Amino acid sequence: MILDLHSHSDASEDSRAPVETYLKWLTRKRDVLPIDGIVLTEHRQWNPTADYRRLEDQYGVLILRGAEVETDYGHMLIYGVTDDMTRRFDFANVRLPAQEVVTGVQQLGGIAVPCHPGRPTIGLCEHYDTKPPLDGVVAVEALNGGSRRGENERVQALIDRHGYQAVGGSDSHLVSFIGICATEFDAAIRTIDDLVAALYRGGYRPVDFRDRLKKVA
Amino acid sequence: MTLEFDRSILGTEFDRTAFAPISAEEIRVYAAASGEPCPAPDVAPPTFVLRQRGDRFMPANIAKLGRVGFDAGKDIDFGVPVRVGDVLTAVSTVHDIYEKTGRSGSMGFLILRTELTNQHGEQVAVIDQKMMFR
Repeated sequence: MILDLHSHSDASEDSRAPVETYLKWLTRKRDVLPIDGIVLTEHRQWNPTADYRRLEDQYGVLILRGAEVETDYGHMLIYGVTDDMTRRFDFANVRLPAQEVVTGVQQLGGIAVPCHPGRPTIGLCEHYDTKPPLDGVVAVEALNGGSRRGENERVQALIDRHGYQAVGGSDSHLVSFIGICATEFDAAIRTIDDLVAALYRGGYRPVDFRDRLKKVA
Repeated sequence: MTLEFDRSILGTEFDRTAFAPISAEEIRVYAAASGEPCPAPDVAPPTFVLRQRGDRFMPANIAKLGRVGFDAGKDIDFGVPVRVGDVLTAVSTVHDIYEKTGRSGSMGFLILRTELTNQHGEQVAVIDQKMMFR
C-alpha cells in the first residue's frame, strides 16, 4: 500500500490546491502514480471538523489527516492528532519544544516524524549539529518532494547514525506535485490508527515516482 | 524574530473609504493599461477592484513587525461585477498576523483584508493583501 504522507491543501496558507483537485489528478495519473492514499498535513493547524469521506468514496483514494508543526528542532509531521494533543500543544506556535512534542505525542497515541531533515534551519540534521539528539524519534522523512539538491542526500547519514526508519512524502503545495514521493507499506492502512501503528512497527520505505513521471511527460 | 503584538488588533477596522462613482473612462483606461478585456460593455475587468484602495494602507498603531517587508501576494474573492456608475466603499481590517519558519529563518506575515461593496450593499470583492516581514 502506497501513501503520500506529506501534503498541503488550500487549508494551508501557502497552498492553492483543493483536496478534490488532488484526487482528480491522482485518478488521471494512476498509471504512473500508484498512490492508494494521501495524508493532509496542514501547516500549524488541526481542524477537528474536516471530513473528506465523500471524496474518499467518490475517488477511491484514502484520505487521512495529520499536521505539520514547527519546533526548536525543525518541522515535524504529527500523525494521530487528538483533542488532548491540541490542548497540550499550540500547533500555531513556531517554537514548540521538540522533545516534549515527540514524547507527548507518543504518550497521547500519535507519532511525530521530523520532516525534510536535511533542510537548512528547519531540518533535524542542522539542529543535531549543535544540540543533543531527541529521544523517541522512530522515523524521519528521508525523501521529501520539495527538497532542493543535497537536502535529501544529507538524511542518509542521520539515518545510519541513529537507526531511524525512513518515510517519503511529496510535501505537495501544488496539484501536480501530489504523490511524486510517497511511502510503501507492507501492511494495509485503513485508518490513522493503522498508520501510527505501522510507523512504530516498521515495514515501510520511501518511494520516488519523479523519474517515472518524467518519462511519460 | 518573535512576533509580539496585541491580538485585539485582529478584526479591527482601520480604514473606510467611499469612492466617487466609477466612470466609463476609468474602466476604459484600466482595461487598456492591464490588457484585460471588459467582460461586457460598461462592466470592469475583474481585477479592476485592486485599483480601489483605501486612504490608509496600514493601521496607524500596529507594532513594528520586522526590519524589512515586502508584498507577498493577494487573494481575491470576487463578488458582483463593477459597473459604470457604481459607488464603491472599501472597509479594511487586520485579518491575521502569524509567524512561520522556513529555510531562511523565521518570517512574519500580516494579512490586511479589504471588503469592497457597492451602493446596493452587494459584495464586490474581498481582497486579502499579504505582507511578509523579517
